[in-house]
Amino acid sequence: MSHIVSIRDVTKDFHLGQTVVQALRGVTLTVDKGDFLSIAGPSGSGKTTLLNLIGCVDTATTGVVEVAGQDTAKLSERELTNLRLNTIGFIFQSFNLVSVLNVFQNVEFPLLLQNKLNAADRKQRVVSLLEQVGLHTHMKHRPNELSGGQRQRVAIARALVTEPLIVLADEPTANLDSATGEAIIDLMKSLNERRGTTFIFSTHDHKVMRHADWVVRLADGKVLGRETPAEAVAHAMGQEVPKEARAS
Amino acid sequence: MIDRLVLLVRIATRNLLASPINLLIGGLLFFGTIVFVVLGGLLDSLNTSMARSVVGSLAGHVQIYSAKSKDELALFGQMGGDPDLAAMTEFPRLKAALEGLPNVQAVVPMGLSGALITSGNVLDRTLESLRGLYRVKRGEAKDPALGALPPDELDRRIQDEKAHVRQIIKVLRGDVEKATRDLMDAKAVDPENRAALAKVDTQAFWDGFDGDPYGALEFLENRIAPQVTDAPLLFLRYVGTDLDAFQQSFDRMRIVKGTPVPKGQRGFLVAELFYEEQMKLKTARRLDKIKDALALGRVIATDDELKRFVKENRTQTREIVLQLDATKTRAAVGALQRFLGTAEDDLEALLEQLFATTDENFAQRYAFFYEVLAPMLELYRVRIGDTLTIKAFTRSGYVQNVNVKVYGTFAFTGLEKSPLAGNTSLMDIMSFRDLYGYLTSDKAAELKELQQQTGARAVTREDAEAALFGEASGEVVAEATPGVINVEEQLTGTGRKLHQEDLIRRVYTQQEIDEGVVLNAAVMLKDPDRLDETILDIQRLAEAQGLPIRAVSWQKASGLLGQIIQVFRVLLFVGVAIIFFIAMVIINNAMMMATIQRTQTIGTMRAIGAQRSLVLWMVLLESIVLGLVFGGLGMLGGTAIVAAIAAKGIAAPNDVMYFFFSGPRLVPTVTGEPLVVALVIILFVTVASTLFPAMIATRISPLRAMQAEE
Repeated sequence: MSHIVSIRDVTKDFHLGQTVVQALRGVTLTVDKGDFLSIAGPSGSGKTTLLNLIGCVDTATTGVVEVAGQDTAKLSERELTNLRLNTIGFIFQSFNLVSVLNVFQNVEFPLLLQNKLNAADRKQRVVSLLEQVGLHTHMKHRPNELSGGQRQRVAIARALVTEPLIVLADEPTANLDSATGEAIIDLMKSLNERRGTTFIFSTHDHKVMRHADWVVRLADGKVLGRETPAEAVAHAMGQEVPKEARAS
Repeated sequence: MIDRLVLLVRIATRNLLASPINLLIGGLLFFGTIVFVVLGGLLDSLNTSMARSVVGSLAGHVQIYSAKSKDELALFGQMGGDPDLAAMTEFPRLKAALEGLPNVQAVVPMGLSGALITSGNVLDRTLESLRGLYRVKRGEAKDPALGALPPDELDRRIQDEKAHVRQIIKVLRGDVEKATRDLMDAKAVDPENRAALAKVDTQAFWDGFDGDPYGALEFLENRIAPQVTDAPLLFLRYVGTDLDAFQQSFDRMRIVKGTPVPKGQRGFLVAELFYEEQMKLKTARRLDKIKDALALGRVIATDDELKRFVKENRTQTREIVLQLDATKTRAAVGALQRFLGTAEDDLEALLEQLFATTDENFAQRYAFFYEVLAPMLELYRVRIGDTLTIKAFTRSGYVQNVNVKVYGTFAFTGLEKSPLAGNTSLMDIMSFRDLYGYLTSDKAAELKELQQQTGARAVTREDAEAALFGEASGEVVAEATPGVINVEEQLTGTGRKLHQEDLIRRVYTQQEIDEGVVLNAAVMLKDPDRLDETILDIQRLAEAQGLPIRAVSWQKASGLLGQIIQVFRVLLFVGVAIIFFIAMVIINNAMMMATIQRTQTIGTMRAIGAQRSLVLWMVLLESIVLGLVFGGLGMLGGTAIVAAIAAKGIAAPNDVMYFFFSGPRLVPTVTGEPLVVALVIILFVTVASTLFPAMIATRISPLRAMQAEE
């Protein structure tokens, strides 16, 4: 199976005045096509930094980050933008919808950037996705007329509309109540299963973690292990990992 | 591509509505555009109408003059009098060359100047008439009109004229006595003048008149006429020109009174406004002005200027009294008594009563004046058909007289009331050259004849010294043969008079009119829009032909006047620039704020694949849309305002504005030009003021999308 994301010995330093903060310290990780992967860890463990590197919105200090077979260090700003546009979908913690556009227009936006489909095809694609996330009745609504869960579903539709290989979600449930959060994860999971899209999401919520195929646990900028959700939850809670939960 | 643009415009429009400060910016852009379009439209219309006035009344489209001139050409005067222009000596060659250019319609030669004229006073005219009657009576002169009169009638006319002279003397003595009394000084009036007046006011003087009529007339002409001061000197401004070419080229010109000057002849056309303002009997002129004012709704009872006119009419009746001889005085008194229903028999008292006009009786009295009194009076100091004597200083400094016949008056259609266009009269260019001591074909022929008669040799100034004192100084340069030319006769006597009468009747060929000195010339174009281009053509051609001339547009040629619109235009631009500068500062600030507020949105767009250029355009479009929406509204509003103004037109507030408005009303129009300029300004203002915030926006990292909203 081909690795859709391949990270080798990656470090990432941030300079805060005189001090250098090492956010990632030699991370190596591969993600396969169709994975539903969670990156877990406490605040400041480097989850978001790792997602940023995978999402091509930031570059590594050292090491290699390959996304869809391309070494991101070798790409120009413009090429990175194109890679994001065509390969990656983003779901943000605060939804990040464009407030002056309605639901339909928000979802259509990446397609307009791609400039590949005509208006009719775009409409068909957008409506179909909104149906899948259950918001086809709210197409004319503005984001401020929607609940948090509805907004995040719009964001999911927007992330998937270009049919990306990878969808990155940074704490997608952090701003939602737990029931809504679980519903969102369920939706993501079902889309993963139905479409085969790779999902990588960061979370520190155990309930959310449980839905993942695999959990990559981070602490202090290092990968502690690639575990099953049960192992990860147990580790996170400081318990002995139950035998049946151990990865084979 | 279009879809993306539509999306960006949609975002821009929505963002616009989201921020109240955009309303302020929009308001400023709206206001600035309205000011620009309305005032710009008015100035453009003013410029066009003034161009019509300047081009159509005197300047033509282009003016040319000698490059050797000390001053620049200023057709409507400048500080410190008329400009000092050098003469253009090769006009025929120049004219032929210029008329060969494709865009040149005609070249009209000119020379602008002014002179003092006097038309002689009423006593002079009466004495002249009396002298004529005596000459016919004594068989010394033949006058077809007077000669046919029976001797009785001739005597009666002589008696009438004498009575007129005695009446003038009586008025004059009254004036002198009044002056002496008022000043309480017997020496206030020259004793010799008093003595002369006293002498001609005696019966003895008149009893002896027929014994030596010419002696008596001479005494009156020399000693009494100078004391009559009813004919002040007039300053007359005129253009010496090829009258035929002028009438053809300046098509707004029309003859108001009299006839055009016959083709090729000498003659004078008085500007109608000047004729009315300066040459008409003052009382009649004031009555005309009151009539015009009343027609405009002004009221004598409350209007200070009209009250002043009435007062002046009542007190200044002397001009009329002096004009009337005994017969006419009797007729006038009778008519006035009947009209006013009074037994008063003093003419001055009756006139004073007549001119005590009010809003109620004005129309009646005006009609009476023109129907009954005017036919007895000379309404104008110079009659159409009279010969006008113009005195001017030549370039070399001596005084030259020229007599020209006044054929009529003229005005430019639409500029009838404009003093700027209505003060300059027209003179044939031959008389103009005579007046300024330039060589004319007549003079050249005369000179040649004189040289042949006297055996004189022309010696130029440069060679004079050598000729007088050099090698050849032994021979006599010139020797006048006494008797061959009677100098006195030639210069002042009947010879001169006959010569001048010949000149008045003489018809000149076009070649004679063209050959000789010209100070400047108007060039009329076929297509006035190609003005600048044609000026360059003219300059190039003149250079190639070795003709040292300057060619300037009508605007430049009109001196200060032409600059006025430019000054207003600069003021308008400065004013609008201030408004738009304020708008720029506010737009810049507002867009900076908006960019900072939208950091996360812009970061998100970048993260999901928007290139920097898209962000740049998104921000720029926002203010461009703002500018286009409000600027567009401003253009519509401005055009509507101008259209509303045009529906009624702006009435010229005074006579001077007639010239600028090229008629009684200015009807402004908005042409495409100010609209296009406004559009360019708006685009510049919005793009320039947003460029910096837009650049900042493109620098926003997609990482910003990942940061949770504060």
